[in-house]
Amino acid sequence: MKTHQRRLLWIAATLLIVLIWTFYSANGPQTTAVLAGTVRAATLLALGAMCGMIGERSGVVNIGIEGQFLMSAFFAFTVTSITGSLFMGAMAGIATGLTMGWMLAAMAVGLKVDQIIAGTVLNIGALGLTSFFYDRSRSLGVSKYTNIDLGALADLPLVGTVFFSRPPITYLTMALLVIVHIALFRSVWGMRTRAIGEHPGAADTVGIDVLRLRYLNVTLAGGFAGLGGSYLALEAVGTFSRAMSGGRGFLALAVMIFGRRNPFGAYAAALFFGFTTALQNHFQLNSVFDIPPQFVGMLPFVVTIIVVALSGLMGSMRDPAALGQTYEKG
Amino acid sequence: MALKWRHLFALLAVFGLFTATACGSDGGGGVSGGYKIGLVTDTGKVDDKSFNQSAWEGAEKGAADIPASATATYIETEESKDYGNNIQLFLDDGAKIIVTVGFGLGEATIEAAKANPDVMFIGVDQWQNEALPNLAGLMFPEANAGFMAGALAGMLTETNIVGAVLGTDLVPPVVFFKEGWENGARYTNPGVETISTYHPGGLDVAFGDPEWGATTSRQALDQGADVIFGAGGATGNGALIEVAGEAGALCVGVDQDQWFTVPEAHPCLVTSAMKLIDVGVSELIAQAYAGTMEGGNYFGEVGLAPFHDFDGVVTSEMRATLEEVMAGLEDGSINPMP
Repeated sequence: MKTHQRRLLWIAATLLIVLIWTFYSANGPQTTAVLAGTVRAATLLALGAMCGMIGERSGVVNIGIEGQFLMSAFFAFTVTSITGSLFMGAMAGIATGLTMGWMLAAMAVGLKVDQIIAGTVLNIGALGLTSFFYDRSRSLGVSKYTNIDLGALADLPLVGTVFFSRPPITYLTMALLVIVHIALFRSVWGMRTRAIGEHPGAADTVGIDVLRLRYLNVTLAGGFAGLGGSYLALEAVGTFSRAMSGGRGFLALAVMIFGRRNPFGAYAAALFFGFTTALQNHFQLNSVFDIPPQFVGMLPFVVTIIVVALSGLMGSMRDPAALGQTYEKG
Repeated sequence: MALKWRHLFALLAVFGLFTATACGSDGGGGVSGGYKIGLVTDTGKVDDKSFNQSAWEGAEKGAADIPASATATYIETEESKDYGNNIQLFLDDGAKIIVTVGFGLGEATIEAAKANPDVMFIGVDQWQNEALPNLAGLMFPEANAGFMAGALAGMLTETNIVGAVLGTDLVPPVVFFKEGWENGARYTNPGVETISTYHPGGLDVAFGDPEWGATTSRQALDQGADVIFGAGGATGNGALIEVAGEAGALCVGVDQDQWFTVPEAHPCLVTSAMKLIDVGVSELIAQAYAGTMEGGNYFGEVGLAPFHDFDGVVTSEMRATLEEVMAGLEDGSINPMP
């Protein structure tokens, strides 16, 4: 990151904190409610973005995140309903995500199917299968994951409620953001992963098994989406309903691009999307503006278009060079 | 490429595994033949545990009550542009009665009814400006149901803040529920603060987004609301389940008695603002079969669901007030949407 970019980031962060503090002193409960809503709405997007990011860094586009969410949510729900254990359900969700990731890898890397088509297969398949097999008389049977207070930290004003009184998958997601960031940019695995996404031919010549690593990464990435599915069914909602992912798998891709395919950037973008949702609710709940809810609802998308277009114009955003291309050992 | 074949077989095997492990099927199709009744849903699903499900249960009951052997089948609309096509599918199949569920299908239903005078149409939540002889619009005074639920909430709230998490304001019945709810709460508790939100999306997603419902519900709870009305298919269900996780908070369901359809909400579900859609649909089907159905608007009933586990929470004074409200709404002395 260049110096002036870094400086800009610091200025923005300081401004943000001052702004939040001002609002908090003006109306504590409402500011807390909005920010808590922001963090909550960001979790799923962050998980989806990490799934997309690991794939794209290795050169494989994954537009099947939506399907991975949905299928994992279905199995997380069903397994919890049968066993009565949220943990078993969450594990089943992750396992389903890994399997879906493996299917994408088998199609896109193994069979060299067009990556967009492979992802679409997952989306359509998940929607069809879960819709068909969903049994509406089934219920979760236990109450969903509840908030865990992190000791004294949870008693802090504002940040206590917003960050330290959260349900388990949200904590796990925050930890994973750090882990994935370190792994991607500080480990051998991360360097290899980025190499096969930028120049698979060169990576191959130094002895990296491109296809095998892509296989592994796309499967592994599915696990993140699987955790997202578990989050959706067991932590966010507490039940399953058809097509419940509601396009968030696609939104996660926007978040990933917006966040420049790195975990912290993606989390910032996810928080931003979450914030617009929370703000829109806030405006309506307190009748701040009398404008149609649909109008505020499109805000995140308008801002995304502007930001993506701007970064495109300034040339600061670049896809991995080998993104979307199948690799044929030469 | 032996390797490719191996991948392909493995894929097929996993796909088969998914299909096999997912258990319990419930297809909606019936075998053709006999007297046919078709039901077209809005973009919600027949298992949405409220609106569409209630209409479908009514259609099934209606079919069972007809003396001739009758079959009811449904088509779920995926996108709003398919309304007309889905109705046409039933017409081509020779259906005698077609039920279309939801405000959104209004225009498509009128068009189809004009073009097919021999087929009887029932349009749930579709107001008829001009009466067609073969089309009955099944309407409900949602504002009354909302008012009763709101009146109860106004008495139950301890924080003096009641919230509502709603489908979309693009659908008038949802707006009626909301206005009735807020006015009802103010009727019994003039000092109450009402905070309500509509889903910001369009018709295609507004009733199928439980995650938004839950998040929004939490935001309302964080702002101090302690009774929350969830009205909007799966979106509303998400809101109800979120309230269930908050000790001391109460929630109110919609359309059906959601005690039976959303068991996850048992810890908070004090009642539901019911529209007796199932009863209305099955009655109209019986009339249509007998040839006594009149075109124009047909008004169904609304009411509050039983209090179930919260029977002890609703005091006899509250019940007396509710009786008064109900009587007032009936004789017109209370206007739910002034």
